[in-house]
Amino acid sequence: MTELISSLLRGVGTGSVYALLALGFVIIYKSTRVINFAQPALMLAGAVLVSYLVGPLGFFVAVAVAVAATAMLALGLERSVVRPMIGKPVFIIAIITIGIDIALRNVVNGFIGTDVRQVGSPWGLQSVRFAGVSVQERHIAMLLTALVIITVLFLFFKYSRLGLAMRATAFDQETALSQGVSVSTVFALSWAIAGGMAAVAGVFVASNAGIDQQIWIVALKALPAIIIGGLESLEGAIVGGITVGVVESLVATYQSDFAPWLGSNFSVVSPYVVMLIVLMVRPYGLFGTKEVQRV
Amino acid sequence: MYRRKAPLVAVIATTALVASACGIRGGDVETDVGVTEEACPDTPNEDNGCIYLGTISDLSEGPFAALAQPITQAQEAFWARVNEEGGIGGYDIDVTSFVRDNKYNPEIHNQVYQEIRDEVLALAQTLGSPQTAAILPDMENNDVIGAPASWSSEWLFEDVILQSGTNYCMEMMNAVDYMVDEQGVESVVAVHYAGDYGEDGAGGAEVAAEERGLDFQAVETPPGTDNQSDAINAIVSEEPDLVTLTAGPSDVATIVGQAAARGYEGRFVGSGPTWNPELLNSPAGDAFKNMFLHAGPWQPWDADTEAHQAMRDALPDVEPNEGYLAGWAWSYPMKAAIERAVDEGELTREGLREAAGSLESVDYEGLLPEEAGNYAADPNEGVFRQSLISRVDEDAPTGVTVEQELFTGPTAEGHTMDEPCF
Repeated sequence: MTELISSLLRGVGTGSVYALLALGFVIIYKSTRVINFAQPALMLAGAVLVSYLVGPLGFFVAVAVAVAATAMLALGLERSVVRPMIGKPVFIIAIITIGIDIALRNVVNGFIGTDVRQVGSPWGLQSVRFAGVSVQERHIAMLLTALVIITVLFLFFKYSRLGLAMRATAFDQETALSQGVSVSTVFALSWAIAGGMAAVAGVFVASNAGIDQQIWIVALKALPAIIIGGLESLEGAIVGGITVGVVESLVATYQSDFAPWLGSNFSVVSPYVVMLIVLMVRPYGLFGTKEVQRV
Repeated sequence: MYRRKAPLVAVIATTALVASACGIRGGDVETDVGVTEEACPDTPNEDNGCIYLGTISDLSEGPFAALAQPITQAQEAFWARVNEEGGIGGYDIDVTSFVRDNKYNPEIHNQVYQEIRDEVLALAQTLGSPQTAAILPDMENNDVIGAPASWSSEWLFEDVILQSGTNYCMEMMNAVDYMVDEQGVESVVAVHYAGDYGEDGAGGAEVAAEERGLDFQAVETPPGTDNQSDAINAIVSEEPDLVTLTAGPSDVATIVGQAAARGYEGRFVGSGPTWNPELLNSPAGDAFKNMFLHAGPWQPWDADTEAHQAMRDALPDVEPNEGYLAGWAWSYPMKAAIERAVDEGELTREGLREAAGSLESVDYEGLLPEEAGNYAADPNEGVFRQSLISRVDEDAPTGVTVEQELFTGPTAEGHTMDEPCF
């Protein structure tokens, strides 16, 4: 039983980081209908920035500065590269974001160099015990941070004017525009929010073993999460992210005992299996909106 | 007087002209592809000819870019030193004109090889096993030899590949033997990547476990710090006395750190490429200090040999990294082969291949024993079986200090190397 609870808690911790990454994808998709494939590079950039700032500024200030800087970087990329393409098919813009991702990662890789860089998180790999169950402090920090960010985000969307503008734009761009909403500001803001969240996720991903030039791949775990939850749903991104984390953890813990015939490392593909099952049952994801096509 | 000398002068002039046209320098060295009478670009020796060596490495976005850059930089420094000392037989060596990025993709590797194929005598570096395999038939057909950027046992069976140091397979045999003899381990889990690196190391660990009567289990793990859960679970649930690791540094940090955090108390031994000094500063740093030993093909950065000193002098401003040492070490057999080819007067591709295949020893300037460079013998006789064991030491420049100097364990000693270990 303790093994099951430990495994679940590890999964929820990791899953909350996937949820942050997934939320970044969904926020941009809701506003612009574009899947932003540059999220991995933004995640990497945020984490690398923390690794440079943690010495002089300390961990928490370094994270705050890096989140703000990565948000500005994302905003700048939207203004300079994506903005001129507004009106073009979203497929083209998505391809451009792949280009941004590769270019940005190449630049950031120069700052990673030959070493494995460290973000100096205060949690290390220490664990605490609750009722005989050992939980890593890192996983608790991940979950709490994700909860705070998600709460702030939902309050922002519900009660602020800009949040309302973002919801209106997501609902119908032309109508929002006709009501005086600056769609251009909404686009830029969605990139900035997604960039900031990617930076937070990057710090937690790097708090495990450090940053090398390959950790950007972790951000792609958000893709099954957003498909499971539904591309347009913030709640879906959170549920999808946590589902991916928990499924991975449980499969890694129990698959060799209960289903060894599935082969080694089945946990790596398990989120995609869940994604396929969800797609078969609900093609628009658990919380997605069914597209209505009138002919 | 003048009249009598005229025919002699004419004969000498004609011979020089013919020799020059045929690519014969100094009248006794025959050349063909990748060797010119003109000096190399930016050479210290304007009167020397030039030997062009190609480099195909993972220089931008591939998974080994972080290692490939110091390897390539060290090789440039190695050959610059050779040139500063006068070159080889009237030739300088250029390794900077034909450097290509393979992006760790076999197709690109083959494509860029075809681009530089007619410009270079040999390859100073060909990085990646699947990548090198993609050009191996061409290398054999073209008589192009190359230094690999790996230590796989499969290279023992390819005469165009000049490997230095022992292979992952025997490195892990020695590591398991060492842990049996020194710490009495009785069970081993080998966590490894798929492919020539991981499987070669795990293959060696399995042979040693069999020879020494140990419980053995191999656990394949994919790259990616987020993909190590299965390996960690296997370690925590099996609780072996020893875990051998053939994976990348970040993945190793995840495995060691998380296994320790979840209560594993055994020992880890990682092969050469598992280590990076920055792992000491990772959250897994304490686990590395207490539980990890590093198996390696030669002494680390700060060793007191002529080769180490020369490398440190040639790269004074770099952050210490074992990648530099690897690039430096891998260049010695190529240098020895070129020297032999020049001595034989056959600095052609075929001549260089023959010269490399006739080397029974290589002067590694103390980095490795001379017999480590025996390319003339068959794989079982020529294979270099010695490796060393280091412990984690935060005061050492690259974070490791030798605990056991080069040695051959009983398993490697008795192993017949008649096929690769995977």
